[in-house]
Amino acid sequence: MHVSPEKVLSKENIYLGDRSGGMLWAALSFVGLALIGVAVIGALAGDVMAKSVALYALHTGALIAMGFSIGAMVFVMLFRAVEAGWSISVRRQFENVMSLWWVGALLIVGVVILQMVLTRTSEGGHDAPYLWKWMNPAYTEGDTIYQAKAAYLSPLFFYIRLVVYFAIWGGLATGLWYYSTQQDLDGDKRHSLHARNLAYVGMVVGAFSLLFASTDLVMSLDYHWFSTMLPVWFFAGCLGSGIALVVLTLIVLRSMGRLHVLFTSEHQHDLSKLVFGFAVCFWAYIAFSQYMLIWYANIPEETAFFDIRKQPGTLWVIISWVLPIAHFILPFIFFLPRPIRRSSAGTAFVCVWLILVHIIDWWWMIRPNIHGSTGMHWIDVVGVAGPVLLFVGLLIRKVASGPLVPLRDPRMYEALEHKNYV
Amino acid sequence: MAHAEAIPTPPVWGVMAEFPDITSIYKAAHEVRDAGFTKWDVYSPVPIHGMSEAMGLKLSRITFIIGAGATTGVLGAIALQIGISAYEYQTVVGGKPFAAWEPFTPIIFELGVLLSAFGAVFGMLALNKLPMLYHPLHKKERFLRVSDDRFVLAIEADDPNYDASATGAMLKKLGATHVDVVEA
Repeated sequence: MHVSPEKVLSKENIYLGDRSGGMLWAALSFVGLALIGVAVIGALAGDVMAKSVALYALHTGALIAMGFSIGAMVFVMLFRAVEAGWSISVRRQFENVMSLWWVGALLIVGVVILQMVLTRTSEGGHDAPYLWKWMNPAYTEGDTIYQAKAAYLSPLFFYIRLVVYFAIWGGLATGLWYYSTQQDLDGDKRHSLHARNLAYVGMVVGAFSLLFASTDLVMSLDYHWFSTMLPVWFFAGCLGSGIALVVLTLIVLRSMGRLHVLFTSEHQHDLSKLVFGFAVCFWAYIAFSQYMLIWYANIPEETAFFDIRKQPGTLWVIISWVLPIAHFILPFIFFLPRPIRRSSAGTAFVCVWLILVHIIDWWWMIRPNIHGSTGMHWIDVVGVAGPVLLFVGLLIRKVASGPLVPLRDPRMYEALEHKNYV
Repeated sequence: MAHAEAIPTPPVWGVMAEFPDITSIYKAAHEVRDAGFTKWDVYSPVPIHGMSEAMGLKLSRITFIIGAGATTGVLGAIALQIGISAYEYQTVVGGKPFAAWEPFTPIIFELGVLLSAFGAVFGMLALNKLPMLYHPLHKKERFLRVSDDRFVLAIEADDPNYDASATGAMLKKLGATHVDVVEA
């Protein structure tokens, strides 16, 4: 069946409209900001544990917001690099999530500033509320492992690296966004080629920046420990949560009567395969690989990570058992059948589920690094939920602010005729 | 002519209709499907996108064969390793427990994948009735061009809707350039 792009690209099909979600985005963003504010106030007013928890929780939330954008950006670059035709009609939603990279970046900068404020206003010493404990001179005193890594783990070099990461991600996101939206205006084919070339470079630069960024932002929280699998775990979380959020956005838009022909069950089926592949299978594969190698080799400097997370009586050991079941086995079985992947309700449910377990996964990856903490603090809930709600609120505003699909992509017809021939 | 009556007429396998291009056979497949035929097939030198829908083919049952293979592999690998490591040949390796799930998992995965692949390959062969050493259509000289530039739609005589004269006439009406009765 041939469909004419003109009919499909009519205004009521590809615009959300000015009013849609107008109150919702403001409400969600406000609640998100308010929760972040509550976490900060709780940190300023609370004891050392409350200060530490606020830093870790906000850091987790900031990374989850950042991860959505990075994951979406990797998919945009992938589609551009291989010149994918089928995904052109859904690409703008990936670009919307990608373009909000600054939310995560600002939040991470906020966490760095909050650490400065908290450590300067509270008394110092070994237990001062540092997120990056290696920045605490009283903590690293006489620590030979730190001294060996001190050249890399110095605060100034760390801040410079952060700026470099944000420059790389921001540059790539801005470039990819520019080529796509500029093509909306002038319809010039060359924008597609420029975006493709940028994606070639971005894939390599982005991979290296993500490797170093996950080392700095996550692994260095326990700077004695190291794992070459952690960056891959971080990458898997970015990809899985990013595409789950995009698919959820698309399904919501379609349920509001938009994207007719542009996002069919055929597109959804292929996107669901990617969700299944990255958020379920790839995550399980690398998370297990990391665990099994550390378990087998049983070297003290590597096992410390799982030693904390397998201590009886802690919340961490419960999550250690919940994750393989809730993040792998249950979604694997539920999301395997073809009818679920093609149904709006089934796929939307899986996407929400996977985003929630992803949040638990990253919280479990980051939070147990607080010494002497064995469970959840009330600041954990507001500190993680705040950034996530803020991101979702801003995403709704972003989606409503422009066309829902690329307007003049010369290869749009390929996406309109997309089918799974199986 | 007494001796002519002694030769038995060969049983009819079905009817074969030759089409000149993809469009005509695609449209004909729709009509044959809507006429309620069940035992028929389309032969083409190239894959035709959308032909599955045009023929009204259901999803392949191969997924269930693969699923059965995967389940057998996973359960078999668990039973095999627990039986060997925890009961029959208890060996201390690196101070680890005998029945530890960690080293079992790669084997569980591998055996699950292996039996899934066996299910996929052998299930595909069985569902396609392969290897097939004889097919009545191969006796037709015209059918050989199906591997070159012709498209053939064949309806079997076993089909409940098959009618010795009406079916051939219908295919002719649908645009077949040549209709031929095929003996078994």
